[in-house]
Amino acid sequence: MIETTIHRQNPMIDPAFHAWGWEIPVYLFLGGLVAGLMILSGYHIIRALWDKDRAHGHYVTAPILSLALLTVGMGALFLDLEHKLYVWRLYLTFEVTSPMSWGSWILLLVYPALAASALLTLPQTFPKLARRLPFCSRCAGALHDCPRVVQAIGFANMLLGVMLGIYTGILLSTLSARPLWNSALLGPLFLFSGLSTGAATIHLLAHVRRPDSGSDDFSDAVLSALVNWLRPPAPGHVGTQKLEHADNSFLTVELLLLGLFIVGLLSSTEVHQRAVELILTGPYAAAFWVLVVGCGIVLPLTLQFLQAQHRIRSTVVPALLVIGGSLALRIVIVAAGQASAWTVASH
Amino acid sequence: MTAPLFKYGLFGDEISLIVAFGIGIAFGFVLERAGFGNARVLAAQFYFRDLRVLKVMFTAIVTAMTGVYVLSRMGVVDLSLVYLTPTFLWPQIVGGLILGVGFVIGGYCPGTSCVSAATGRIDGIVYVLGMIFGLIGFAEIYPMVENFAHSSALGQITLSSLFKIPYGVLVFAVVVMAVVAFVGAEWAETKFGGKKPDADSLLAPAKTLAPSRLLAGGIVGLGVIAAVSGDPYRGPFARVDTRELALNAGTKADHISVDQLADWLVQGRNDFLLVDVREPAEFAAYHIPEAINVPLAALSPDIADRTERIVFYSDGSIHSAQAWLLLKSLGYSNAYMLFGGLEEWKDSILFPRLAADATPEQKAAFDKRAATAAHFGGAAQTGVAPATGTPTETPKLAPPPPPAGDGAAPAAVKKKKKEGC
Repeated sequence: MIETTIHRQNPMIDPAFHAWGWEIPVYLFLGGLVAGLMILSGYHIIRALWDKDRAHGHYVTAPILSLALLTVGMGALFLDLEHKLYVWRLYLTFEVTSPMSWGSWILLLVYPALAASALLTLPQTFPKLARRLPFCSRCAGALHDCPRVVQAIGFANMLLGVMLGIYTGILLSTLSARPLWNSALLGPLFLFSGLSTGAATIHLLAHVRRPDSGSDDFSDAVLSALVNWLRPPAPGHVGTQKLEHADNSFLTVELLLLGLFIVGLLSSTEVHQRAVELILTGPYAAAFWVLVVGCGIVLPLTLQFLQAQHRIRSTVVPALLVIGGSLALRIVIVAAGQASAWTVASH
Repeated sequence: MTAPLFKYGLFGDEISLIVAFGIGIAFGFVLERAGFGNARVLAAQFYFRDLRVLKVMFTAIVTAMTGVYVLSRMGVVDLSLVYLTPTFLWPQIVGGLILGVGFVIGGYCPGTSCVSAATGRIDGIVYVLGMIFGLIGFAEIYPMVENFAHSSALGQITLSSLFKIPYGVLVFAVVVMAVVAFVGAEWAETKFGGKKPDADSLLAPAKTLAPSRLLAGGIVGLGVIAAVSGDPYRGPFARVDTRELALNAGTKADHISVDQLADWLVQGRNDFLLVDVREPAEFAAYHIPEAINVPLAALSPDIADRTERIVFYSDGSIHSAQAWLLLKSLGYSNAYMLFGGLEEWKDSILFPRLAADATPEQKAAFDKRAATAAHFGGAAQTGVAPATGTPTETPKLAPPPPPAGDGAAPAAVKKKKKEGC
């Protein structure tokens, strides 16, 4: 007897069941980016405790930017929910085996940690705004007087950043029905992709918000930066160079993890080989090799390597490429993953 | 640019995009390294101060020209498959003038403007934006100029076909022209640009064999070889290895039997191309299922890939043997003819006969033949004639049942792929 299902899981009805549209890749991208920013700014907050020269780095904008980006990402996640009014039910329980439950609780903890670090950096980021909000300034001052609290905030940011970054990948890899995602390497891969995106974003901010622009106002800085955005940052700024080095290490690790991810699937069952062929030679190959690997990793890696050697001038181009490549990675992995299925074994 | 490999079907659309990405990066890199991202460098050639553009472009032309020539003479590249843009004389003259005006105003050609924009030059970015708006504008007015754009069509012409000079001689002439242009450019740069010639310049008085001189000598040498070694096109003239053909024909490696063909067709194999070389009217009256009709007079050198298995048949064996010889001489390695042709097909497959005094073994084999005959719409004739006697009246041919699919014969050539330069 041949049993046939007549709902959408039947490959003859829906050859590839795409349940997720643009919302999930965008959320994964923003989540990874915020994770990277949290780790970098948390590290910076701790470093700044004993190295006062670094207190005015480019990192100060990161917490407030992270808050805004995470809210946008959560908005995309909310749009994807089937029953939007029941979102509160996620917080009535904690399921140890459910990555979604982990994620919703991690996100709930991320917000206060980000808010604390944002409060800490507010007087440096927006001095005018801070003067208008004396309460916040006083709080920030009080926090700065307790180095242990500042240290705790920094550690909390780093820890939650790592958890958030890994969770965005584990969320996919636990869905065993999609063979392309059946790899635990997705967690570290998305974490390091998030780290490189975070470093690139701070790099971008360093170009947009120039410390020597002489204006405290953020909008002024944006306008002036737009006019001469192609100029390299002011000479003598060690910060951006360190960022380039850090970004290069993150990109290298990401490239290695991507290679291991592919090798792991290729040396697995035939179903997994068919799944990874979707991105290696199949319908997603062009987007994967050109946008993710070419423009997203290899090209910025080369450009930043040449910049670090002072053979070409420093521009925002690698940073923009890294950010675009990171978004493309999520879109390709999510779309190709949904196109992969266990049914190919029977064909 | 991915044309030759893509067209041979070595990879599909997805991989061609990846290859195009790699070629694009490499091309942009070379242009940038040559300094073509700078409008001043491009403009300097019109003042004869810096003739870098002329040198790079002429180098590219002679490298590609001699390279393609050598590869096609070695049999690696089939020049007749390389896409040539058709010539429309007057529209292309007008278009060239418009492009020239744009070049003078903007200081870039389309390719170099992209390089310039990618390196962050404002004028390059403005030029690219202008190009995009120009494209939109052209698309909008195209219906008005469509008639003109298709006028004075000359087809795909080459200089050698237009001036009736051998291809190899033309290669030699262009190579000589390039070397003269290089020497002239060095001279002009000294005269107008005030540049001192480099130590390895073609103009320098040194008597040593500098790399540039070696390269110039080498390219002229290739030009001389091209001039005397004939036409690279796989044209109507072909050479055959008579011993190989004789061996094929002698060992019967050149044909397949009707039984074998019937087996293939019953199995539904699609790894061969069955070609009927009779006239279209005869083809319409009856043909073997899955066959396509290519009359002998219309047999072209590009009927299929040169490695494809092709089976020819005609009424008897003469026409299919001629087609087989033609394709063998054009380098098709897997050409075959149907032994006995359509006559044999009718006698053995469609209307097999069983002698009245057949042995039980012959009868058992005949049952299989009868089933095959029924499959192809024929009918077995039992006991009407002795096996060795003259055939009686041939039954009227029933047209074969329509193929199960959409009825279209398998296309002779694979899906036509995008043409591109």
